[in-house]
Amino acid sequence: MLQLKFFGIGGQGVVTGAKVLSKAVSLYEDEYAVTIPSYGHERRGAPVNTSMIVDKEPVLLNSFVYEPDVVIVFDPTLPQKNVNVANGIHEESILILNSEDPEVVKQYKDMGFKKVYYVDATAIAYKYIGRAIPNSSMLGAIAKADICSIESVQKAIAETFGKKAGDKNAESARETYEKTAEM
Amino acid sequence: MAKKMLDGNGAAAEALRLTRPKVVAVYPITPQSTISETMAEFVDFGKLDAEYIRVESEHSAMSACVAAGLAGVRTTTATASQGLALMNEVLSMASGLRIPMVMPVVNRGLAAPWTLQCEHGDAMNARDTGWMQFYCQNVQEIFDMILMGVKIAEDSRVLLPMMVCFDGFFLSHSMQKLEIPTQEEVDEFIGEYVAKNMYLDTEDPMFCCDLTGPEDFTEMRYQQKVGMDNATVVAAEVMDEFAAKFGRKMTQVESYLTEDADAVLVALGSMNGTIKYVVNKMRAEGKKVGMVKLTQFRPFPAALVREALKDVPVVGVFDRSSCMGNYNGPLWNETAGALTRTNVDLRHFIGGLGGRDVPAVNVERMFNELLEIKAGTRTENTEWIDLKEGAMEIRQVTKYVRD
Repeated sequence: MLQLKFFGIGGQGVVTGAKVLSKAVSLYEDEYAVTIPSYGHERRGAPVNTSMIVDKEPVLLNSFVYEPDVVIVFDPTLPQKNVNVANGIHEESILILNSEDPEVVKQYKDMGFKKVYYVDATAIAYKYIGRAIPNSSMLGAIAKADICSIESVQKAIAETFGKKAGDKNAESARETYEKTAEM
Repeated sequence: MAKKMLDGNGAAAEALRLTRPKVVAVYPITPQSTISETMAEFVDFGKLDAEYIRVESEHSAMSACVAAGLAGVRTTTATASQGLALMNEVLSMASGLRIPMVMPVVNRGLAAPWTLQCEHGDAMNARDTGWMQFYCQNVQEIFDMILMGVKIAEDSRVLLPMMVCFDGFFLSHSMQKLEIPTQEEVDEFIGEYVAKNMYLDTEDPMFCCDLTGPEDFTEMRYQQKVGMDNATVVAAEVMDEFAAKFGRKMTQVESYLTEDADAVLVALGSMNGTIKYVVNKMRAEGKKVGMVKLTQFRPFPAALVREALKDVPVVGVFDRSSCMGNYNGPLWNETAGALTRTNVDLRHFIGGLGGRDVPAVNVERMFNELLEIKAGTRTENTEWIDLKEGAMEIRQVTKYVRD
């Protein structure tokens, strides 16, 4: 069983990103995923998070993730908004971070993550879809961390967004996958 | 049978579409809104041949459905929370008129305090309106229960409406993998709608819902009660038939590892998945715990509950609603009634209110308390299991306090 926690701000497509990843692993990789979004009285710009559990067997747990194996951060400024993305992590927990700034990556690594996968997913999203919505591109970085294959991610994006938008989003995921580095 | 990823609302809308209702009247309300939107799209895109009536409230939605049912077609709506409360007056009209409709209820707490989030207070508020109530653990169960619900409700021995209840956000917005049968398979299973009892026919006119005096009222209520009693029998048949056709078996009352259990938890809804997970974990540690999951709450399957629990030493009932002024919660009350004259030590827990999560750690805490009671090392359990410390200090007026 793999427990994932997505953090971001309203408008970045955090919940949709988790939903698309759940399709990738459930429909194209023969696993079972459930997403459990945490809704507040959200608005654009407010911190949001969503939980996801992946397993070989149907998932019984129906609650938020408190001890994530994988943490995905869509917005690197979350610590300044009093969000502790390292809450509940253990020594094997990894991080997937939307930033290329070496200082920021180092700062996150020092929170205790075993490994940090990092990339400027917002810039790549902007290049392909013309909007700073990094949900599809971040899925490419998640594929780099071996959560699922990039092919499955691309198929799930195409299935979700349809032909035209799907192709561009899938390409942004592919480029992000290729550009994701590790620390 | 196709495998799909849908959230609970998506599964509910897809199931309703496959039952081919002819009149749909849904008023959007969080966390149900995507059901109303999806049903409207189905009709607009020609994926469902139905009249979508745009109503101005849930009271009107239920009124439209009652009228459609009386006219002789399959009809549906969906709601949550305040919407269900606003429908209340018309709910008993639907059940008393024996309209066999199925309505998803996406469980959300009732204001005040305002909440958009999950608990069972809304459905519990409507538990005595003459509707059947079935609760779902996961997205597949939502889909399956709606199909089975239509068949149970429309059975001539029942002819009563049903709420298919599922947890707001924890299921309505949770993406899960499920199997979806073809339209042909669904048609075969539920059959074409036949208006029984009451229908609109100018060649064969009839009165309905006229002012009824004391000479007939009791007997008409009794007919309804017989329909409710029959529902328990019919639900068992339909669940068997569904399992034979689709290979997935739901049960009205599911016992899980209860035979030798020292302690068992009873609950409704999505947290049964988490409870089962914790049972597996604690069993692996040698702790004898089990679970009884109720899918059917109305009619309350008292005989089945008694059979499932009568020999368990300590039973905890977990209510996800507060039911102010009630002696313990509604699920506890019903369970206690079913266990009259047994030696079961029946305990009560309340939690998961207003969207508060029910994590595995809290379920484990409840089990451990029950096991300590069994072992004689504890006398009282913590009824409000997830209450924060300093509860009475929260949001107190501190300025210009008046005594």
